[in-house]
Amino acid sequence: MELNESDPNPAENIETFNRRPLDGLTLKKLIEAGLSWLRTNQQTVNALNVFPVPDGDTGTNMVLTMQAALDEISNSSERNFGKMAHAVAQGALMGARGNSGVILSQLWRGFARSVDNQEALNAANLAQAFASARDTAYKGVVRPVEGTILTVAKDIATEANEALKDNTDPVAMLKRVVEAADLSVQRTPDLLPVLKDAGVVDSGGKGLFFILEGMLRFIQGQSLETPLSYVQPLSSIKIDETMTMVEPGQDYELVIDFYPQGKLDLEGFYKHLEEIGTSIQLGEGDGMYRLHIHVPTENKYVPIEYIESFATMQKVTIENLLAQLEQIQNQEKDSQINLTPIEPGQIAVIAVAPGKGIGRVFASLGVANLVAGGQTMNPSTQEILNAFENLPTDKIVLLPNNKNIIGAADNAAGLTVKKVAVIPSKTIPQGLASMLRLSPHGNFDEVVQEMIAALDEVESGEITQATRSVEINGISVKEGEFIALLNNKLVYASSSLEASCLGLLERGHAEHFELITMFYGMEMEPTVVTQIEDAVRRAYPMHEIEIKDGGQPHYHFIISLE
Amino acid sequence: MKSTIAIVTDSTADIPENVLQEHSIHMVNNLVIIDGHSYQDRVDISRQEFYQKLPGMKTFPSTATASPGLYQTLYEKLLQGGVEFILSIHASSKLSGIYNAARLAAQAFNERVTVVDSQNISMGLGFQVIVAAEAVQEGLPIHAILKKIVNLRNRLHLVAMLDTLEYIRRSGRVAWMRARLGDMLQIKPLLEVKHGDVLSLGEVRTHRKGIIRLIGMIKSLEPLERLAILHTNAEQDALELLESITLNNLSMKFIVNVTTVIGSHVGPKGLGFTAIKAN
Repeated sequence: MELNESDPNPAENIETFNRRPLDGLTLKKLIEAGLSWLRTNQQTVNALNVFPVPDGDTGTNMVLTMQAALDEISNSSERNFGKMAHAVAQGALMGARGNSGVILSQLWRGFARSVDNQEALNAANLAQAFASARDTAYKGVVRPVEGTILTVAKDIATEANEALKDNTDPVAMLKRVVEAADLSVQRTPDLLPVLKDAGVVDSGGKGLFFILEGMLRFIQGQSLETPLSYVQPLSSIKIDETMTMVEPGQDYELVIDFYPQGKLDLEGFYKHLEEIGTSIQLGEGDGMYRLHIHVPTENKYVPIEYIESFATMQKVTIENLLAQLEQIQNQEKDSQINLTPIEPGQIAVIAVAPGKGIGRVFASLGVANLVAGGQTMNPSTQEILNAFENLPTDKIVLLPNNKNIIGAADNAAGLTVKKVAVIPSKTIPQGLASMLRLSPHGNFDEVVQEMIAALDEVESGEITQATRSVEINGISVKEGEFIALLNNKLVYASSSLEASCLGLLERGHAEHFELITMFYGMEMEPTVVTQIEDAVRRAYPMHEIEIKDGGQPHYHFIISLE
Repeated sequence: MKSTIAIVTDSTADIPENVLQEHSIHMVNNLVIIDGHSYQDRVDISRQEFYQKLPGMKTFPSTATASPGLYQTLYEKLLQGGVEFILSIHASSKLSGIYNAARLAAQAFNERVTVVDSQNISMGLGFQVIVAAEAVQEGLPIHAILKKIVNLRNRLHLVAMLDTLEYIRRSGRVAWMRARLGDMLQIKPLLEVKHGDVLSLGEVRTHRKGIIRLIGMIKSLEPLERLAILHTNAEQDALELLESITLNNLSMKFIVNVTTVIGSHVGPKGLGFTAIKAN
């Protein structure tokens, strides 16, 4: 992008820049530079998203806002700094896009307000303008949150004020401000947990940093077009300890420490490495460089060979990320279930669940704790009591999910000072249906009524194997046959598991329902599950069918009809 | 001379076009951004088209408020055109930046522009705007109109069943939703907008049960003064919902295909209502 069509040599250096007054025309150039650099790094800012999918648009919104500011002044040859700044602010206000854009427009508004009619700025004016920008931006938000662009604006103003004490000129001040903004952005995850959880820094703050850095880069005569990879301090190189996912082409992680022979050509270095791998980071300390890169399997030795061609290597570590990931995932399978944290005073539900998979489903629906148990493994009163005694609330709902456990749950309710309601759920499907009615902040008695009412909204089926030959309800069963229980009553028996499942659905009048959910047990082979799933889909092509790993013992399937 | 008051709102209010015209309500359009292109709500893209395309979009659409500058320009135009005061009523500030954009724009006009956080969205906002416009036509002053809005707000209930958790979780605007796993089982959340926030009313697993719950909730609120059935391209369901409740003495009744700006965050096939209990 042309920085200034009337200027044949847009790249400046600090000396020549310092000789120019910080006037309206200079501001215009700086705005152009800030926008250029922000646009160059737009995707980087967009990718700083707290959600798992890269659909962020902060970078785009800030670019559009700055573009509107530039459009406003593009035909202006105003020399007065204050007037130019006001035009910038007006343009930003008109074009402000998204929350980050609105805050950006308020930063410019505060900035402009402070420099009102000034011909040119000195360092003191500039520090004042940063302070005014900060104040206006904070007021420009209904509920200011730290760890965002606001915090970065605040740290910028503070640093500018510090720099002023050291008698700096505006350019030196900008330099310090850019460094402060960089550090401030890096600190945002410490202030805003949602950023920390997502492993990102604040996108708006990063955008603001790029705008200021673009101005500085322009002054220093650096390119505004290629997104630069940075050389960081060694300590800040992030080596992945745990990965929850590995993207294609990131099979191996390499960390290489090396001393280059002569000066490292950074641009060429990065260009070369970008063809080999991703997640490139470069650190430097005391002349030693540390490279971090992710590469696909076929490239796992390529960075080593490349670096050897111009440097002395000190240390190389190679980690197989795919293998690590597999290990982590296996651990996770057996690891703890994510229970819902309970806020004081809210209603907490404790569910009895016979398997990990079913426990996970209950957890995903918001239970506060789980008790292992079910048919032939009834938990004790004490176990149930332990599950809720330490929760920070006295409003407890118990879902026994088995008729033989309701008694123990009632006993537990009688042994505590907490207010406990036992929902008489006799099956897992009943427990799940009841769970769906939970409003954690609702009126306790009303919520309990709702949860009880929900028990009848679902038909429960179970498939298990007969342990002896018997005749019940006119159905004769041979030992080892697969028997189908509908709402705890025997309705079908067959030597075929598939026939037994279909028999259950037929007796349960599945055709009257919309949704069939099947939880398969811990002993089920995946191929058998698939085969039965196919049979059910063929028999009920119009139904929604969900198959889940229930992990329960004894029961091949637990089935709900809704 | 009698004072003149203009009513301004934004396109999340979901007020049908004929009602807007009838009450001279000024509506500022928000933006929806699909695959990098910006579309003005109500102007550049039809709701039917939007919802049909929504499940197949490469990236989830995002939304943006009109800029503070746009609000400022509109306020300026209205005030210069002879309006004495402006009442600008907008979507909940906890869910969107619209209120903030309007608030910032209003700063330039002091007490001549009053910006109101409706603490609601869609027709939960829309009914507040309509009541304000009716009050203007009755010749009431600003403070009396604000009182009417608060009175209405206390009688207002907005409930919706979403077809999927996916959109609202991804939108990130409902913090507790973000924290939830929720996708172990296919569920349809029942949500309520209250005091500006989105609250949970539990979940259902089938559409049919959701409709039954919605009917039950509407009936429990009777007698009603006004009702809007809201949907995101589920007109058949909306008609069915409306037909299955026999309501007398309603002074106002709509079926609304919800704006793309809200639809981006809740997804297609949602169904709900805004009901105003009788005074």
